[in-house]
Amino acid sequence: MNWKLGFAATAVACVALPFLVPQYSLTILIEALIFGLFAMSLDLMVGYCRLYSFGHAAAYGLGAYSTALILIHLQLPLPIGIILAVLMTIVTAVPIAWICTRSTGVSFAMLTLAFAQLGYAMLFRFRDVTGGSDGLVGIPQPAGPFGMTWFQGKIGYYYLVLGCLLGSYLLCRAIVRSPFGAVLAGIRENEAKTIALGYNTRAYKIATVVLAYGFGGLAGALYAGFAGFASPELFFWLTSGRVLIMVVVGGAGTLIGPIIGGVFFVYLEHQLSQVTDLWPLIFGSIFIAFVMFAPEGIWGILTSRFKVPAKLPSSTGGKEASDAAA
Amino acid sequence: MTFLSFILAQCLSALSQAAILFFIACGLTLIFGIMRIVNFAHGVVFMLGAYAGYTAQVLTGSFIMAMILAPIFVGIVGAAFEWIFLRRLYGRRDGGAYLLLTFGLAVVLSELIRIIWGTAPLSAGIPDFLRGIVLILDQPFPLYRLFLIGLGLASAGAVWLFLERTRAGLLIRAVSQNPEMVHALGTNVDLVRTGVFGFGCALAAVGGVLAAPLVTAFLGMGTTVVIDAFVIVIIGGMGSFLGSIIGSVLVAFVQVFGAYYFQDLALAFMYFLMLVVLVIRPGGLLGKED
Repeated sequence: MNWKLGFAATAVACVALPFLVPQYSLTILIEALIFGLFAMSLDLMVGYCRLYSFGHAAAYGLGAYSTALILIHLQLPLPIGIILAVLMTIVTAVPIAWICTRSTGVSFAMLTLAFAQLGYAMLFRFRDVTGGSDGLVGIPQPAGPFGMTWFQGKIGYYYLVLGCLLGSYLLCRAIVRSPFGAVLAGIRENEAKTIALGYNTRAYKIATVVLAYGFGGLAGALYAGFAGFASPELFFWLTSGRVLIMVVVGGAGTLIGPIIGGVFFVYLEHQLSQVTDLWPLIFGSIFIAFVMFAPEGIWGILTSRFKVPAKLPSSTGGKEASDAAA
Repeated sequence: MTFLSFILAQCLSALSQAAILFFIACGLTLIFGIMRIVNFAHGVVFMLGAYAGYTAQVLTGSFIMAMILAPIFVGIVGAAFEWIFLRRLYGRRDGGAYLLLTFGLAVVLSELIRIIWGTAPLSAGIPDFLRGIVLILDQPFPLYRLFLIGLGLASAGAVWLFLERTRAGLLIRAVSQNPEMVHALGTNVDLVRTGVFGFGCALAAVGGVLAAPLVTAFLGMGTTVVIDAFVIVIIGGMGSFLGSIIGSVLVAFVQVFGAYYFQDLALAFMYFLMLVVLVIRPGGLLGKED
């Protein structure tokens, strides 16, 4: 019963938070939630299919730049712009997923990285459209359909992001608990066996990558709409690296873990970067420690400590995690 | 300037580039062949080589000493990393852990370099005895780049001889094929692994020392290079020594000619080359299908 209480308390806290913290913290909070969503999208690939993407920044960047271009040139309402950007990311993701899933493991990681770097290079190639190294600045937040303007303020935008995060989480949870998700778990645990059972695992992997890009694109779109600019940095490999770290430290294959990881790291990064420039060093060391000693991540440790009933064949270290919990 | 001499100069330039890339890619592929580990930190190790080489050159005043001391230092760092961290993961079922761990090493190491050497690019310059210009078909060509080509060829030959003609090389090839059997026959497989990891890192450091006079040692030099090295290894086939040589030459040519004819798209060409190879042969040119 305890954990239900905990969830309820978290939900109340999330809704009430914008009124409790000062304005400047709200900015970090919104960015943290966006990164939580971004990390969760990557978890679909890493945690459920064991497809390690080193180029998930591509999804983020695609979403952000699409939103920027749509909002700047088309004067569409913000929510419509975001939806269109997500659709564009999904459409672009299909060929990428098709090519990347030809290989597995390391080659997959490098191919995804290659696509992200390719996107990064494109930004400088098509300077007229993308603004090159300056990026795109001055992205407006046009009022929504039916004259909605509630998301234009910071508090309003916070609820928009929170709503998107919650909706995406519920959707992803439904996906991984569906028969589709069961096949993904099959691929993760033993792909050869899953193929032998008659599943076209490649198609499932493509679908997962496209889904992950879609949610990642949503995160990027929300970021562009909030920050008001899109810079090449969004496509850079360090963005991919950061989000991968968040997924692993949060707890891959749990959806909620990466959200916590993302929120936790963005917040901590902001706090620590004010007092010390050794932050990336600390970041990397924490990451190494988790990979070495706690591959199940923060959420994995919490759930095994407090015995949250596991509803799914839950994940990262697969056997190890469940053994540790038992 | 005739067309022929221009092409020749470009080819030589590409070959000297290939020499530097070879040092990185060769270490990467050796490590993968033996341990099935993809060392994502290899680019940062290369960068560490460049910085250590700079310091050694400033302290001893000799480029040759830098080329000896820096790789030894980096090799020891690499071997220590394997011994302390990587070794603990060997039993783990999930191969992704190596990728993540070496990625963490890349982050930590590049930060340490920033803290120790600072953010300004460093260069001790091309050593005096390699500073000249050579005329090839009336086209001036830097002596240093010719030196790189020569050293690259010699090193490729030396590594090949080491792998094929010495007892240590025999052990390395044996471990890459069947570690259990080698272990059963009384060889300390763990020691071979530590040694190869250190050796691979030392090779990358040689590349770093050689590249530093050309491009200066700067933060971020590791990132571009690690992607190049992975592209090479993937094109050539993971774990294939010969593949890493072929891949280095291919990628260097694509880079040099791509940069000349289509400036902004040089990077895209390299990825395009990799995509084509992977679509045709998912295991790389000389690799096994996995």
